[in-house]
Amino acid sequence: MLTRQRLKELLIAELMLDLKATDIGDDTPLFGPAGVGLDSVDALQLVVMLEKHYGFKMADQEQARQVLQSVDSIVQAVEGAKAVA
Amino acid sequence: MPRNILITGANGTLGLAIAEFFLSYEPDAIVHLGVRERRERAASLVERSEGRAKLVTLEITDPDAWKAAIEQIGSLDVLVNNAGFHDDVLLANMKADQWSRVLEGNLGSVFHGCQAALAVMMRQRGGRIVNIASLSAIHPPAGQTNYAAAKAGVVGLTKSLAKEAARMGITVNAVLPGYIEGGLPPEWSEEHLKALKMQLPMRRFARPAEVAAAVFFLASPEASYITGTALPIDGGMI
Repeated sequence: MLTRQRLKELLIAELMLDLKATDIGDDTPLFGPAGVGLDSVDALQLVVMLEKHYGFKMADQEQARQVLQSVDSIVQAVEGAKAVA
Repeated sequence: MPRNILITGANGTLGLAIAEFFLSYEPDAIVHLGVRERRERAASLVERSEGRAKLVTLEITDPDAWKAAIEQIGSLDVLVNNAGFHDDVLLANMKADQWSRVLEGNLGSVFHGCQAALAVMMRQRGGRIVNIASLSAIHPPAGQTNYAAAKAGVVGLTKSLAKEAARMGITVNAVLPGYIEGGLPPEWSEEHLKALKMQLPMRRFARPAEVAAAVFFLASPEASYITGTALPIDGGMI
C-alpha cells in the first residue's frame, strides 16, 4: 500500500531532494517554483518509480500531468487503480 | 554482479578493440558484440572468449531491433554506441540519400540506442553510455559535411542526455577519436598515410587500444562523476 509518508520518503530518496518528509505538504504542488520545484526529469523518474514499485502505469503524458500534481493526487491514483483491479 | 556490456559495430577495428579491453580488464563482464551481416572477426573473438563474449544481431537504425537485442541480453550496464560509417563527398556533389543515410546511420542510430538503453538503465537506476563520435565533429576535413554533422550531433545529444540522465545514476559521455590504425579508408595510399602522419604531433595514428582505454574508463564505476564530456583522443592534433 502506498501511504503519503512512504511516497514522500521515496520522493526524497529517488529524486535526491534535500528535504525532510515534513517539508512536503500532502497537497503542495510538486512541480513548479511555487511548489516543491520538481522538473520534467523528475517527472520521468516518478513515472518509472511508480511503475517499478507499485505496478502503476500511466497511459500518456496527459494522465501523468494530472496524477503527478501532488502527493495526494499520486496516492489517490495508485490506490484507486488497485481498488479497481 | 557481472556487468552486461553492449558494443555496436563490434566487427570493426575499434569495436573489437573495445571488446577486447573489457574482456582483459573486467574479468567478470559479459561483452555483447552488436553485429549485422559482417561478423567473422567478432565470431572469432567469441570463440576465444571462453563464454564471456556473445554475438547480438542488431540493426542499429531499427528501434524494434534495439528493444529485442536488449531483451535478449536481459539487463544492460554499459552501452557503447560505436557503429558508424563514412560516405565522403563534397557537399556540392552529395546526393540526398548520401546525406540522410550517414545522418541516420551515425546519429539516428545513437538516438535509438540511447533510448533503448535508457529504458532499462532508468529502472536499474544506473548505467554508462559511451558514444563514439569523431574528431570530425569539431575539426572536420572537407568532404565530410554529412559525417561531421552527424558526429557533431552525437556530441550535442551526449551533452543534453547527460543532463537528463544524471540524477538516475546514468552517465553519458562521448569520445572523439582522430585517425586510428586499421580504421582508415583502404583506398588511401601509403604515400597519403605517410604525409598525414608527418602532420601529426606524435607522427603516428592512434592505436585502437588507446581509444578503447578511454572508453573503458568512462564506462567504469570509477567515472561516476564524469558525464556530458566529449573527449578528443587525437595525439595533440587540435
